[in-house]
Amino acid sequence: MTDFPTLAVMILLPILGAVIVGLVPKRRSELVYPLALVVSFLPLAIVGYVLWEFEVGQPGYQFTERVLWFEPWGVSWNVGVDGISLLLLALTAILFPISIAASRSIEKNQKSYMVAMLLLETGMLGVFVALDLLLFFVFFEITLVPMYLLIGIWGSGNRVYAAVKFFIYTALGSALMLTGIIWLGIISGTFDFTTILDVPLTGDQQGWLFLAFGLAFAVKVPIFPFHTWLPDAHTEAPTAGSVLLAGVLLKLGTYGFVRFNLTLFPDAAVRFAPWLAALAVVGIIYGAAVAIVQPDVKRLVAYSSVSHLGFIILGIFAMTNQGITGGVIQMVNHGLSTGALFLLIGMIYDRRHTREIADYGGLAKVMPVFAGLFLYMAFASAGLPGLNGFIGEFKILLGSYLRFPAAAVLAASGVILAAIYLLWAYERVFTGPIVHKENEKLLDLNAREVLIIAPLVVLILFLGVYPKPALDRIEPAVAEVLERIEAETDFEVPEYGIPENVAGGGE
Amino acid sequence: MENIAFLPIGPEVILLAGAVLVLMSAVALNLGRRDWGVIGGISLIVAFLLSWAQWLRLDSLEVTAELAFSARNVPVPTNPMVVMDRFSAFAGMLIFLVAFLALVGNWRLVPKLGKRGAEYVALVLLAAAGLHMMAISSNLILLFMGLETASIALYVIAGFVRVERNSDESALKYFLLGSFASAIFLYGIALVYAGTGTLTIYGSGGIIDFFATQPVVLFDVGVLLTGIALMIVGLAFKISAAPFHQWAPDVYQGAASGSVALMSAGVKVAGIAALGRILFGAFPSRIDDWAPLIAVLAILSIVVGTIGAIGQRDVKRMLAYSGVAHAGFMLTAMVAGGAGMRSVWFYLATYALQLVGAFTVVSLVSGTRSGASSFDEYVGLWQRSPRLALVMATFMLGMSGMPFFSGFVGKVAVFGSAIDAGYLWLAIAGLVAAVAGLFFYLRIIVLMFFEAPVMAEAPGTAKAAPGLEGGGGLVATICAVLTILFGIIPWPLLNLVRDAVL
Repeated sequence: MTDFPTLAVMILLPILGAVIVGLVPKRRSELVYPLALVVSFLPLAIVGYVLWEFEVGQPGYQFTERVLWFEPWGVSWNVGVDGISLLLLALTAILFPISIAASRSIEKNQKSYMVAMLLLETGMLGVFVALDLLLFFVFFEITLVPMYLLIGIWGSGNRVYAAVKFFIYTALGSALMLTGIIWLGIISGTFDFTTILDVPLTGDQQGWLFLAFGLAFAVKVPIFPFHTWLPDAHTEAPTAGSVLLAGVLLKLGTYGFVRFNLTLFPDAAVRFAPWLAALAVVGIIYGAAVAIVQPDVKRLVAYSSVSHLGFIILGIFAMTNQGITGGVIQMVNHGLSTGALFLLIGMIYDRRHTREIADYGGLAKVMPVFAGLFLYMAFASAGLPGLNGFIGEFKILLGSYLRFPAAAVLAASGVILAAIYLLWAYERVFTGPIVHKENEKLLDLNAREVLIIAPLVVLILFLGVYPKPALDRIEPAVAEVLERIEAETDFEVPEYGIPENVAGGGE
Repeated sequence: MENIAFLPIGPEVILLAGAVLVLMSAVALNLGRRDWGVIGGISLIVAFLLSWAQWLRLDSLEVTAELAFSARNVPVPTNPMVVMDRFSAFAGMLIFLVAFLALVGNWRLVPKLGKRGAEYVALVLLAAAGLHMMAISSNLILLFMGLETASIALYVIAGFVRVERNSDESALKYFLLGSFASAIFLYGIALVYAGTGTLTIYGSGGIIDFFATQPVVLFDVGVLLTGIALMIVGLAFKISAAPFHQWAPDVYQGAASGSVALMSAGVKVAGIAALGRILFGAFPSRIDDWAPLIAVLAILSIVVGTIGAIGQRDVKRMLAYSGVAHAGFMLTAMVAGGAGMRSVWFYLATYALQLVGAFTVVSLVSGTRSGASSFDEYVGLWQRSPRLALVMATFMLGMSGMPFFSGFVGKVAVFGSAIDAGYLWLAIAGLVAAVAGLFFYLRIIVLMFFEAPVMAEAPGTAKAAPGLEGGGGLVATICAVLTILFGIIPWPLLNLVRDAVL
């Protein structure tokens, strides 16, 4: 490994880009969009390099950088990637150029918009590589401000309410996490994640810390019943905001559960797992059921996120190899497919300025490309075999059946419900005759819009057909987490006897 | 006479000389406003440099503190009045920095005062001298005199510009309640004297010495503890900690916007410094007695300040209530004893800068002379004056404790100290309240950024769009830059304050 601070450069490039974009004078404002787009490709290039150089099967963190910042507090610039963060990093780096490319229709204060986007990118990239608790919290929390501004300034209709609700909900969760982080830092004398792993914690301490961290992540995910901010925020956010909210921001919570709650507090995690699994199942079914009846297509996709994220939580707290691996790959899958759905909805919203399902109908006739892409993404989201969603949900159900059979059975109904709400929405929007005259002259997607969606189409297919490269990277990291849980507690990770035979019967 | 060390009291000498010179210049020397400003500014800068020199001098000394009015060769005189240690040197630097920024940032107020401008500048210098005296006193009576010098100057400043009908009312309220608090403080000193038989903190025969030599049974603990409690109450009034905070919103609102920065930030710094001197300097051995009282004041202030601020429709009143909550945050770290002071210093330094900056923005938006600063004036500020809105947003995010702003590091520091001292419940309550605080900080941002500006109904009544210009713009920008800088690179300041403990 070279000494070049790859990850630091990756994190800082968007900030630098934000400064440059911010300095573009008013009379050259046409430069803002291309400049922001170019800047957002730079972290992607670095992530590409990291993906390339990442040594598969190696346990522990790679590309680590550690610089002690402040000795008395034990705070350091401590970053690194493992298999779990690697894929989320890639997801973030891919979604940002796409979101920025999709934001050309932003007219109001475009420069400030792009600056907010680039600052958001720094925060999100930082969260996934931070290995110092305080550093993690800084990145975790700082993503709030640009997102708050994106929703509040560039959102639609009820944006101020949604923005403030989003901010307060998530900040309340993280306030307790901050207390937990400081407490943990004082107990162990450092905020360094890898050092804290060796600090023995009593069962009580683990329990409280688990709850403090868990609440922050539960709000972020969001786990039922902390989900009420999500439909508002997703619906009112501008297109790129929704894409990033669903694609990346929610994953901060699920990632936090794997990285911190399972790893740092294994004892408490084992104790609380049944509760979280139960809430996850409630979320899966509740989210899906509410999604079915939504008249607003963006709200529908937002509620589908509640359901999908429930799957991820169920997989994680099944605490089996398949479950957690499935959860991690599903984080990526959900980011890709839901992100794409929000992009598509944004494109039709730009044309028709309505999100009501009732205002559409028969669009397949005038916009065949758009209809095809929407159906493709709906299938990916519903977990059609051959597309990426299937891999994740299948592994999650497989893994959770080992630990919570009843939960797995109930959760499986979520797959069917997903097919119902997505395909029913498709039916109402795209099939049948055109009832509204306004829809007759809608233009199909242009080349630029197709180009924006294309990378997601390819990735979804690739992960669906050949997920092995991704799984090869995730599994060693997951195995490490589970080994730690087994070493620290008397919990034994359940495994299937003969995996080949189960593949058919697990679902 | 030759043995007197002037360095510890150098700032007072300079400031009093400056104040006299400004007054004389107005009467006899026929100098203009510009010169008052130059004299006032230079006095504060020199005072700041002298405090800095004290700090540097302490580096070269072997002892951690030097006591003034004493023979050089005798390290600990019998009854030192004034102490020069890193605690007082840091407090001095902070007080003079705040006073300087407050004066320069609101300089536009002085021309509007006409001939009375000289008096105003002189009062600012006197207040700064009094505030500094609170931080350097080793003698409780001298500390009280510093408190009164500063308070009386500020009572006058509070009522100096009669902007509205309620401005007289608020000044009178400040004066009456303030005098009452001073009297309580004085009564506390008397009881401490009754309990310990001394008024001096350090030196032989001082309070420290008393605790070190006297067996506990020989004095009346009840009298002593009552004295300590009354002194805490007196200072809690000055730093506007609940339940002694009611004056703050009215006084801030009633006083001219341009004068509130010093009134709020300067007094908080000196009040906390005096509280630290008394609790950690004089009574560290009674920490188990006073820490619960401080904890109760902290939690009350946090809750009352936060709830009070939520309902406000006026930025100055909102900042007053949020100041109550911030006083609570600082008291939170004081329960940890002397070691907690480093967190308090960091918090205080960064908060004081945010506060001065925020009040400077208020006087840029509403005018330095005006009393009110309704939320309505901030609607759509981003579109009218983007830089001003960004600067104000920086202060709001800083005060709310978002990462990348200095308030976050301050919150980590103070709650870390509280948790370290075993007050986990206080930290949890404080952090939850900090989230509730987001309501009103975010509301300002919502108004500035999310709402379109309302056009003035009648031509002629419309004010020109406020801009980030002149001394005010400079000061607000400096404060905002420091708020971000100490949020990203807090280590230099954290290292500095590590030594400024008792």
